[in-house]
Amino acid sequence: MKQLEEVLQDWEAVIGLEVHTELTSLNTKMFCSCTFEYGKEPNSQVCPICLGLPGSLPMPNKAAIESIIMAGLATNCQIMPDTMFYRKHYFYPDMTKNYQITQGPVAFCMKGELELEVTGKAANQRVDLSSVEMLGDSDGEAAGDAAGAAPTAPSSSYRTRIGITRIHMEEDAGKLVHVGGTDGRITNSTYSLVDYNRCGAPLIELVTEPDLRTPEEARLFLQKLRQIFLALGISNVNMEEGSLRCDGNISIRRRGDTKLGTKTELKNMNSFRNLHDGLAYEICRQAELLESGGTVRQETRHWEPATQRTIAMRSKETADDYRYFPDPDLPPFHLDDEFIESIRARLPELPDAKIKRYLNTFALPFEDATTLAVDPELAAFFDAAVLAATAGEGADEGLSRYEIARAIANLLLNDVSAWMRQSGVSLDEAAFSSADIAELVMLSLGETISSRQVKELFAEMAQSGKSPAAIVAERGMQQISDSGAIEVVVAKVLTENADKVAEYQAGKTGLLGFFVGQVMREMKGQGNPKMINDLLIERLG
Amino acid sequence: MSNLTHVYPTFSIADIRAGLAARDFTAYEITEAAIERIVAIDGEIGAFIEATDDMALLTARKIDMALHHAPVGTIPDELGPLVGVPVAFKDNMNLAGTNTTCASRMLEDYVSPYTATCVQNVIDAGALVLGKLNMDEFAFGSSTETSAFGPTYNPWDLSRVPGGSSGGSAAAVAAGLATVALGSDTGGSIRQPASFCGVVGYKPSYGMVSRHGVVGFGSSLDQAGSLGRSVADVAAVADVIATFDPADTMSQKPTAKMSDYLQAGVDGMRIGYVPAYLEMDGLQPEMLFAIEDAMQRLEQMGADLIPIELPHARAAMAAYYVIGPAEAFSNLSKFDAVRYGYSETDAANLNEFYELSRARGFGPEVIRRIMLGCYLLSAGTYDQYYIPAQQIRTLISSDFRQAFELCDALVTPTSPRAAFKFGEVTDPVSMYLSDIFTVPANIAGNGGMSLPVGLGRDTGLPVSVQILGPQLVDQNIFRVAAALESTYSIARLAPVDMPVRATATAGIGRFAAIEETIRGAAGAAVGVSLAGGAAHTAHATSAEGAEHEKCEDCTCEEDEATDNIEGGVA
Repeated sequence: MKQLEEVLQDWEAVIGLEVHTELTSLNTKMFCSCTFEYGKEPNSQVCPICLGLPGSLPMPNKAAIESIIMAGLATNCQIMPDTMFYRKHYFYPDMTKNYQITQGPVAFCMKGELELEVTGKAANQRVDLSSVEMLGDSDGEAAGDAAGAAPTAPSSSYRTRIGITRIHMEEDAGKLVHVGGTDGRITNSTYSLVDYNRCGAPLIELVTEPDLRTPEEARLFLQKLRQIFLALGISNVNMEEGSLRCDGNISIRRRGDTKLGTKTELKNMNSFRNLHDGLAYEICRQAELLESGGTVRQETRHWEPATQRTIAMRSKETADDYRYFPDPDLPPFHLDDEFIESIRARLPELPDAKIKRYLNTFALPFEDATTLAVDPELAAFFDAAVLAATAGEGADEGLSRYEIARAIANLLLNDVSAWMRQSGVSLDEAAFSSADIAELVMLSLGETISSRQVKELFAEMAQSGKSPAAIVAERGMQQISDSGAIEVVVAKVLTENADKVAEYQAGKTGLLGFFVGQVMREMKGQGNPKMINDLLIERLG
Repeated sequence: MSNLTHVYPTFSIADIRAGLAARDFTAYEITEAAIERIVAIDGEIGAFIEATDDMALLTARKIDMALHHAPVGTIPDELGPLVGVPVAFKDNMNLAGTNTTCASRMLEDYVSPYTATCVQNVIDAGALVLGKLNMDEFAFGSSTETSAFGPTYNPWDLSRVPGGSSGGSAAAVAAGLATVALGSDTGGSIRQPASFCGVVGYKPSYGMVSRHGVVGFGSSLDQAGSLGRSVADVAAVADVIATFDPADTMSQKPTAKMSDYLQAGVDGMRIGYVPAYLEMDGLQPEMLFAIEDAMQRLEQMGADLIPIELPHARAAMAAYYVIGPAEAFSNLSKFDAVRYGYSETDAANLNEFYELSRARGFGPEVIRRIMLGCYLLSAGTYDQYYIPAQQIRTLISSDFRQAFELCDALVTPTSPRAAFKFGEVTDPVSMYLSDIFTVPANIAGNGGMSLPVGLGRDTGLPVSVQILGPQLVDQNIFRVAAALESTYSIARLAPVDMPVRATATAGIGRFAAIEETIRGAAGAAVGVSLAGGAAHTAHATSAEGAEHEKCEDCTCEEDEATDNIEGGVA
C-alpha cells in the first residue's frame, strides 16, 4: 500500500469527526441523581430512572446543561435559546428504554468553529494550501523577548478554521461484556452481560463539518478540543476510560473534484495516535481500492491498533430509521440571555488565551507557555505561584516579573513535573503549596541559596511539606553572601596555593575555576558563586 | 361478619372521619369490612388484580394505636386527611413491593422497587391500601376487556363492561369495595368508566398530579386522578395527590384546594355548553336528556348558560390516535424482556428474543397501538401525520383557551352512551369513539370530571355529564359539580348482592375465585343511597337471588324518574 504522503498528492481526504465527551466532572447522570464513577462494581450505580423501570421519568441535570453551554461558548458556537430533547429509537440491550434521549434538529449549540495551527513536519500532509493562512517564521509566536526561545515554525506551518456543526446533549448507554468469544468480541461469544453503570451518564456529542483534510489536522483538532474541555473542567476527557470517544467519517476524492466520495465511518480510535493512524490507513485503503477500479462501500469500520488496519463491522447501505420525535416527558427548554451570560461570565481562561498571556505578560518561551497552558492544574498552580512571588515581600529587589515567572515555569516544568511523574502525586495532593514554590524560587533568585541547593530543598519540601525558609534555617543552608566572610576564605585559599596563583598570573587564567572550587569546598557549598568569582578575579589581579 | 359489613360500602370519607373521631369503630374494623366485602363480591366484579390486606391491616393498627392515645373526639393531624379511608390503585401505579402488571402478561411477575408519587401521597395521608385494580392492558382500551387477566364486570349489570381503561377503579368504587380509587386518564380512562359505573371520576389538569411512578402510555396526555362516590370524596383525594413533584418536569405547584370550593355555588358563573355536541350523531337520547336537564338545573341555580364553539374539537380523535400511539410505541419500547418482564428463552438470537417475547407478552390491542405508533413515527409518515397532529393539538388548545375566556366551566356529555355489553363493540374504531367527548381535554391539557346524574330512561344504566374547566383552574369544575350533585338524589353504590357467608379476613390472592358466593341474602342491604334517597335501595333489598339484569326492567324508573333522569331533585 502507498504511503499517506504519496496518496495525498493525488487524492484529497475529506474528514469529519464525531466526538463524544462524557461530563465526568458532574458525578451525576443526565436524568437522575445516580453517581457514575469509572470502574465501580457492575450495576452498582443505577436507579429506577436510568434503569428505565416502568413509570420512571427523566429529570434533566441542570449542571449538565450548563456544561454543554460552556462547551459551546468555548468553541464559538451559537447558543440556541429554544431547544428540545428528542428520543432516538433502536433496540439494543445496553439501552434500558430502547430509546436514547438526545436532541433533534436544533441542539443546544450550533455553528461553531475552532482555529487550528498546524506546525512541524506533519504540516506537510496538507497539499492544497489555497484555503489556509500560512504562518511566517515569527508568526504565532510571542511578543516581548520570547522570540529567541520559541521554536521556529517551518515555512509550511499554517492556520485553518474547522467548522463545528453542532454540540448536542444526550445520555450514554450501558456497557456489554461478551463472554466466551475471542478478545471479548461478540463473535462466537456464548452470552453477554450488561453493566448499566454508565447508562444515562451525561454525554455531549460534537459534530464537525467535513473540513478536516489530513489525519494530522484531525489529531490536532481532537487534542485542542480535549485541552479546551479540560480547561472548562467539564470532563476528565480520558480516551482510555472512554470519557472521550472519537469516530471519523472519511471519504476521498481526486484532487480538483468537487463531488464527495462514498464515506466510511471509523470507530475504535481510542488514542490520538490511533486517530491519526486509523484515518491515515483508511485514506490509503480507499485510494488503493479506487485506483484498482473498485468502489468504497458505505460501512462502519473498526480500527485494530494491533494489526494496524481497519476491518468492516456492518454495512450501512440502508439508513436506520430512528423514529426521532420530541420527548413528551420533557418540556421544551428556553434559555434566556441572562442564563447564557451568567455562564459566559464563569468561563475560565481558555488555553489559547492563556498561551497569549504567558507570552505577553511573562515572555515565557513558546513551548513552556503551551505546556503550562494546556494543563489546567499546572497553569493554575503556576499563576498562583507567580502571584505569590510578585506580591510577596522581596518582590521588589530589582527582579523583573519576567525573571520570576520564567524561574517558576522552569522549576514547574522540570523538577516539579519530574517529581510528579515519579511519585504519581498530583499538585493538589502535594505536600507543598504554590506559595512554597514561590518562596523557593525567590530564595534562589535572591541568592540566598544556590541553584544547586534548589534541588535539595525541593526534594525536602515535597517530602516533609516544610516551608523552604524553615528548611534553610534548619539545615543552615543559607548562602553566604557576606563579603567579609568570603574574603577571609579567598585569602586563605590564595595563600595555600601560592604556586597556582603564580601560574595564573603567568597567564594560565583557566585556573579560576580551580580557585572557585576550593573556596566553595571551604564554604561547604554555601558561598555565593558570583561574589566568589568576582573577588577572586579582583585579588588575582 | 364485622359490625360494619352493611354500612361500610356507603361510607364517605367524612363518615369515616366522624366515626373514627367518635371512636364508634376502629380503622381495623373498617379494613376488615373492606376485605370481607372484596372477598365476598370481587369474584363477580373482578376489580382487583392484587390485594394488599397485610399492608392495610398494618396501617389500620397504627392508626388505632395513635387514636387510642388521643382524646376521644379528636384525630391527631399527623394521621392525615385520608385517615382510615380504604383506597385502591390502578395497576399501572407503582407501589414498592407489589406487582405493577399494567394488566399485561408482559409485567405479570414484575415487582416494583419504588412507589409512585401520587400513591405515596395517598399513603402518607393515612389511607388504607387495599390493593391494585384491573384495567385495560397498558391502559389501551375503553372497556377493561383487554386485560390479560380477564375483564372487570360492571357492578350495575354484570353483562356489561365497566368502561376503561380504569374499569377496575370505577367498578371497585361503584361496588363499595373501596371508598375511593386512583385511576389514570389518557383520553377519558377515568371519566368514561366513572360514567359507565355511575361514580364521580376526575381527571386533573395536566401537570397537577405527578406522573412519576405511573406507567406512561401517552406521556403528554396521561394524568392520574381520583374516583369516588361523591364530589366531596373525590375532592379530598384530589387535594392530597395534587402536589408539586420535581421528579416530573411537567409538575405544577398547586394553587387551590378543591375542597374549599364545594359550597361556592354556581350563582353568577358563566357555564358553557357546546351546541354541536348536543346534535352529534350517536349521542343517545338519554344522554342528551341528561345534559339538557343538568343545564336547566344549573340555570335554575343562577348560572348563565353560554353557547360555546370548539371548532377543531371534531379533529381531536384524529390527533389523539396519532399522538397517543406514537408516544405509546416509544414508551413501551422499554419492555424488551432483557431486564424484567415476560421473556421467551427459546429464541435463536437477540432479534428473535425481542420479537417472541413482545409478540407473546403483549395482547392484540397493545400490539395494534405499537404497530400504529411505529408506522406514524417512520421517516415519511412523521411529517404526514405526527406534525399535523401536533398542529391540530395547538388549535384545540387555543379553542379551549378562547372558550374559557367566555365561560368559567363547560358542561358536555361524558360518553355518547351508557355501558355496553361484553363483546358488543368489536370494531376498534367504534370502541375508540366512546371517548369522543373526553379526548379533547387530554389533547388540550384541561381538567375534567364525569358526574353521575342518575339512571338512563332507556337503559336503566348510570348516565353522567362531564364538566370541564380552564387549564389549572380545576376548582371551577368542583364548584359546578358540587352544586349540581346537590340537586340529585341518586344512588352511587351499585346494587351488588352481599353473600351471607364470606371468608372474612383470609388473604385473597390475585385472581382469587370466590367459590362461595351465596346470593340473595336477607338483610344484605348494600344499595343504601348516599343521599338517603330511594333509587336503588329497592333493587338491593328486594334482590332475592335476582339477576342484575333485573335493574333494567324493574319499575323504579317510573317511580323515581324526573323527566328522563332517574333520581329526581332532592
